[in-house]
Amino acid sequence: MSGEHGELTTRTFVDVHAIQDELEQVRWGLHENGEFSEAAEHAAAEARASVLNLIAVVGSERQLTEVSHTLDALSVTNPSRTLILLAQHDRSVGKLEAEVSAQTRTESGHRVTTERVLLHAHGEVAAHLASLVTPLLIPDLPVVLWWPGRPDFDNPLFDDLCELADRLVVDTDEGFEPPDLKRLLEIARREHAGASIGDFNWARLIPWRHLAAQFFDMPGMLAHLAQIHGVAVYHGRDGSTTQARLLGGWIQGRMASIGLEVPVEFRPDDAYEHGVCRFLIYSRGPDGQARFSISHQPGGRLSTEIRVDEQDFVDRTVRLTRRAAEELLAIELTLPGHDVLFEEALAASLR
Amino acid sequence: MDRERGTNGNRVFYFATAPQFFPVIVERLGASGIARAGQGWKRVVIEKPFGHDLKSAQALNQSIHAVFTEPQVYRIDHYLGKETVQNVLVFRFANGIFEPIWNRRYVDHIQITVAEDIGIERRGKYYETAGALRDIFQNHLLQLLSIAAMEAPANFDADTVRDEKVKVLKSIHPIDVASDVVRGQYGPGWVGGQQVPGYRQEVNVSPTSATETYVAARIRIDNWRWAETPFYLRTGKRLPSRASEIAIQFKNAPHLPFAKTAIQDLNPNVLVMRIQPHEGASLKIAAKIPGPVMRLRTVNMDFFYGSSFLIESPDAYERLVLDCLLGDPTLFAREDEVERAWGLADTIENGWAAQPPSDFPNYAAGTWGPEAADALIERDRRRWRRP
Repeated sequence: MSGEHGELTTRTFVDVHAIQDELEQVRWGLHENGEFSEAAEHAAAEARASVLNLIAVVGSERQLTEVSHTLDALSVTNPSRTLILLAQHDRSVGKLEAEVSAQTRTESGHRVTTERVLLHAHGEVAAHLASLVTPLLIPDLPVVLWWPGRPDFDNPLFDDLCELADRLVVDTDEGFEPPDLKRLLEIARREHAGASIGDFNWARLIPWRHLAAQFFDMPGMLAHLAQIHGVAVYHGRDGSTTQARLLGGWIQGRMASIGLEVPVEFRPDDAYEHGVCRFLIYSRGPDGQARFSISHQPGGRLSTEIRVDEQDFVDRTVRLTRRAAEELLAIELTLPGHDVLFEEALAASLR
Repeated sequence: MDRERGTNGNRVFYFATAPQFFPVIVERLGASGIARAGQGWKRVVIEKPFGHDLKSAQALNQSIHAVFTEPQVYRIDHYLGKETVQNVLVFRFANGIFEPIWNRRYVDHIQITVAEDIGIERRGKYYETAGALRDIFQNHLLQLLSIAAMEAPANFDADTVRDEKVKVLKSIHPIDVASDVVRGQYGPGWVGGQQVPGYRQEVNVSPTSATETYVAARIRIDNWRWAETPFYLRTGKRLPSRASEIAIQFKNAPHLPFAKTAIQDLNPNVLVMRIQPHEGASLKIAAKIPGPVMRLRTVNMDFFYGSSFLIESPDAYERLVLDCLLGDPTLFAREDEVERAWGLADTIENGWAAQPPSDFPNYAAGTWGPEAADALIERDRRRWRRP
């Protein structure tokens, strides 16, 4: 698929009504005095599309550049009213600026034009940016809040934006600790102003979960499922255990749903730097003890192995491609509802 | 002037003064003979507030009628001059597909919102005596309610349309103020990235003021069309955004033949008539997300006046002044309409007077109103929209 990306207009504002007016003009292709703007000439013939409101919060110019690239790549598959918040609380001088732009992207002959607002705030106002975000959202469309780094959970901006959001997308690999995971679960489960949670780190576990589930699809293996009596998750030596906890939580949560309590053991593996590197499931069946294992191999592969009664049964190797941020975000954007399995895994990992 | 402009003695007297001068001006116009002199028609346009309560509105009607007959009186509510408000009537009565579903069978409830992000600006003195009930609820909100709920008029004559609107007001179920109405007053907060003071800190406002800057009400209409289909009305100052709209929320599809995962976050259809800003309409519908898995997502079908008709809509006042000059009072409030509306406002005001607010300010500027307003609608297992 070949892509082309362009920015049609950019104008800077500070007043919320002026931003709203410009957004409407950009969105609908109208310019003041009823004349068509450059954006309008392009937009008039194109579908004006938005399927969601997407808010991204960044803390630095460097992060802003990365996030902008990710969002550019998503504009065709998930056209959205995008608000990027560059909130720099540490700078003491108050500043608030907004930049409105129309983005156009062509993929396989289809051109989609969407609008984007960059809100840049310093000082006290940075904590109250939600007051500027609310009037800029398109009504009736879901609001997805993407927080690429570890959120500052105690900043009022986090709570205010969570209240607006239908879905909060984070990457728990960004230094999340168990209290942070607990906070996520609270947000997912609260009755008022709750949001469903999406997690890149959880999405990265999709191949691990697929392979683990596929073990029991094999002939004769289903009987082992209800006999699982232990699990070991090996993780890298850097001390980050969040991904391992989620994977352990997943199997614990799933097994609990059929009434089995499965102990999970976490072990560091010095040969690996970071993330889950090995997943072992211990079971017993009519034909003896069984061990199902998935291991991360050098070169971006996952290998699986089944050993039943001291005998190696099957092994296979699959590619483990590292997904780019835009792919992970795209997955999260098509899942507007609560991910029941993720919440179950999160809850189990905290027990 | 008549010679120069060819106006043939036609006169419009436009009252845009402080309301306490209305009776005096009318009386002087009558006494001077100018209201009846010569040939041509004489009309009077009266700005809101038309009275302060039912009694004062009746007294004002009486003093006006001492000089002018009802067909000469044009009580202006600029909301009625807005394109979308008139478009509600066109939407409903010029299209074959909406009216058959515009009733209790298909509509779950209707939300009417007049939200302002501004405070009271420099109108503290006026607002202290008015409050949101008199400033917006009694006129704009009840007008929008009448237009959304009325039966199809036999024709578009002024009195035929207004008869239907009055019928709606007459059908409103007696309001139980304690359980159906919520009032609020804003405290300090943040709106649109700006820190703003609370109502009691505004210029010309008492630091212990009990004036409401927010009203929400649950209205039931006792007729065949709307029985058991509530209307939720709300208006407020210093809310997060500026938006006026009528939102018709339809009932859920009676049966969903999709997998549970596909529908877990499916929302019902909503038809929104946006009055301001950016007049238009949108219909919220469910669509399938492309891909092998059945996943549904809510999408909007939008109609926006500005881009659909590349001509500028006339300003509401321009439209209404022109109607007055042409002698068409359809979009002006009639005597009985105004008095009915004041009757409802009085019921609420009297209910409140019996129990002064103890929790003011009860919402921070930049939020969607007091918690009690959420409770009002959530009690019925519904939620306020984010307009």
